Amino acid sequence: MAQFLEQIINGLVLGGIYALIAVGYTMVYGIIQLINFAHGEIFMFGAYIALMLITVFGVPFWVALPLSMVLCAVLGMLMDLIAYRPLRDAPRLSALITAIGMSLALQNLARMIWSARPRQFPDETLPTIFLSQNAISLPGGATLPYRDVFIILLALVLMVALNRLIYLTKIGKAMRACAQNSVAANLMGIRTNRVIAITFIIGSALGAVAGVMVGLREVVTPTMGYYKGVAAFAAAVLGGIGNITGAMLGGIIIGLAEVFGAGYISSGYRLAIAYIIMIAVIVIRPSGLFGKSTGKRA
Amino acid sequence: MRNWLIGLLIVGFVSVLGCQPQDKNTSETQKAQKELKVAVAAPFTGNAAAFGEMIKRGAELKEKEINEAGGINGMKLTLLFEDDAGKDAEASLVAERIANNLQILAVVGHFNSSCSLAGKPIYQRAGIVELSPGSTNVTVCEGSDWTFRNLYRDDFQGKFIAQYIKKILTDLESVAVFFDNDDYGRGLRNAFVAEAERIGLNLVASEAYDRDNTDFKAQLTSIKAKGPDAIFISGLYSEAGLIVKQARETGITAQFFGADGVDSPDFLTIAGSSAEGTYLTTPFTFGAADAKAQQMAANFENLHGVAPDTWAALTYDAVGMIADALEKTYNSEASVADNRKAIRDHLASLDTPEEGYNGVTGLTYFDLNGDTVNKPAYVKIVKDGQFTAADQQLRELD
Repeated sequence: MAQFLEQIINGLVLGGIYALIAVGYTMVYGIIQLINFAHGEIFMFGAYIALMLITVFGVPFWVALPLSMVLCAVLGMLMDLIAYRPLRDAPRLSALITAIGMSLALQNLARMIWSARPRQFPDETLPTIFLSQNAISLPGGATLPYRDVFIILLALVLMVALNRLIYLTKIGKAMRACAQNSVAANLMGIRTNRVIAITFIIGSALGAVAGVMVGLREVVTPTMGYYKGVAAFAAAVLGGIGNITGAMLGGIIIGLAEVFGAGYISSGYRLAIAYIIMIAVIVIRPSGLFGKSTGKRA
Repeated sequence: MRNWLIGLLIVGFVSVLGCQPQDKNTSETQKAQKELKVAVAAPFTGNAAAFGEMIKRGAELKEKEINEAGGINGMKLTLLFEDDAGKDAEASLVAERIANNLQILAVVGHFNSSCSLAGKPIYQRAGIVELSPGSTNVTVCEGSDWTFRNLYRDDFQGKFIAQYIKKILTDLESVAVFFDNDDYGRGLRNAFVAEAERIGLNLVASEAYDRDNTDFKAQLTSIKAKGPDAIFISGLYSEAGLIVKQARETGITAQFFGADGVDSPDFLTIAGSSAEGTYLTTPFTFGAADAKAQQMAANFENLHGVAPDTWAALTYDAVGMIADALEKTYNSEASVADNRKAIRDHLASLDTPEEGYNGVTGLTYFDLNGDTVNKPAYVKIVKDGQFTAADQQLRELD
């Protein structure tokens, strides 16, 4: 029982992180039909920037986290401006290849700046609630670290906030309009390039949060974006790419599937099990759990 | 707009180049003196980069000492460093590149067992020696006359660890294995499990992980539910450091045991205070070595500013063995293929203790496979954030 409870928590934490990354993939795809492979690298930069702010500049954690979000948002916006905007009217394949190039370039840039060595957030610079020994004892001998509670709650709050932003604000309406038909939206007076830039900004900021979370729990490396990025991309596809609620739920499902697959079926096929579930869903519902079955956007 | 794209491509290209370790030739002496080139293939980037760094430093020290002492029969020894990133796919590319470079006479490497295995058929086809200072998987030297190693095999190491736990750490009754799902991790786990079953060590769990993973909570939670007294990690330092750390966070209090893959100073920095009390086996330790090894350690520290580790010492010896072979066999009139073959024949002739190469890590000689079977294992423990030799060593195996 304690094991089951702990596995659920492990799955929710991982799922929350995947969900935060997955919305970045899905929002960009929803608007410009581009799979932004470099999104995983933004996530990685988020972790490194927060780490540098804390260890090199001595910035407190509560300032470093939002600052890292802002810097990653700028990075995401620049990426759109430099790499993707010039290719807006080019064939979709060109933009896709550019995204892969961008991903490699950023990954190697990180390797040059910070070396390939894994780094960690030093315990002494973090607020005490993040230290692993501070945990809530659950019935049956299970423990729930405050850090994991914080990660799950923060992911939840950001998800709800994003959902409200999309459905209740003017910019959210503009984003939905662009996703439906960007030419028509443009004709209606929506400045599509600005909306796309804002999409990149939001996605990148959320990715940065996920990066810091992974850094807190695990370790920061130049390739961390690849591994988590692929899983998050699977989550976005599972939820129906282009659909934000789908990406959130897809993230949670992949996270839980990965943990339960490793914990109860076979640890050697941890991610494979998550992917099998994704493929099974796609076979039955080709547009994902929440995707619209228009068939136009394959 | 197109300029942006070109700029981006250049950035990408430069950064890809930037991660290749480059050998900087000094142009003044290049022409004047004939060079003998030997490749050192190891993981200079990636998850095992800390090993690669020490391998490079150990090799550089030997290169410097040889050249300062007048080189090999008056010719200069030049090492070329090739990065396999610790990945088998990358290792095959590196092996192809080395095999096709007709200036290279021999290879010291690879480090990871999966990389040595990936390179083996390529080196065999090209007829060039592969001398590994770090691969311990049982099958590494099998089936090729061209692959050698100067350290023990995992069948010995796995057996050793099981017997050490059974005979010396007697209060540990149940053991779980957590292994890296690659050639090294699986092979070592199999050897350990076979011996544990033979001597009646209670094995309660066997879980796997993938190299690129950094979150081990799911598997650790399963292991925790089985309540083992000890956990044997069959993998490399970077994952092992995180595993030990995350295990303590999960509330696991079991004794940790690692193998030579954990033997890197980086294990201590990654695991932090959680590393305390971890046991591990290693093919060599300076603490138990002779005066020659202490001299090498002092020279190493002079040159690089840090203390050498096990892998620096084994690489130092591997380069020494190749240099020794070159000194005895190199013929500038002969073809590259003949010179490559002469090195192999020389190494293969070191098949008795009398013929063996006496380096800082002890005597190295090979059996018919090219394996070294005489070298002992040592046990180290993490005490006060440092590796120190364990109080009790196991000298004889049943």
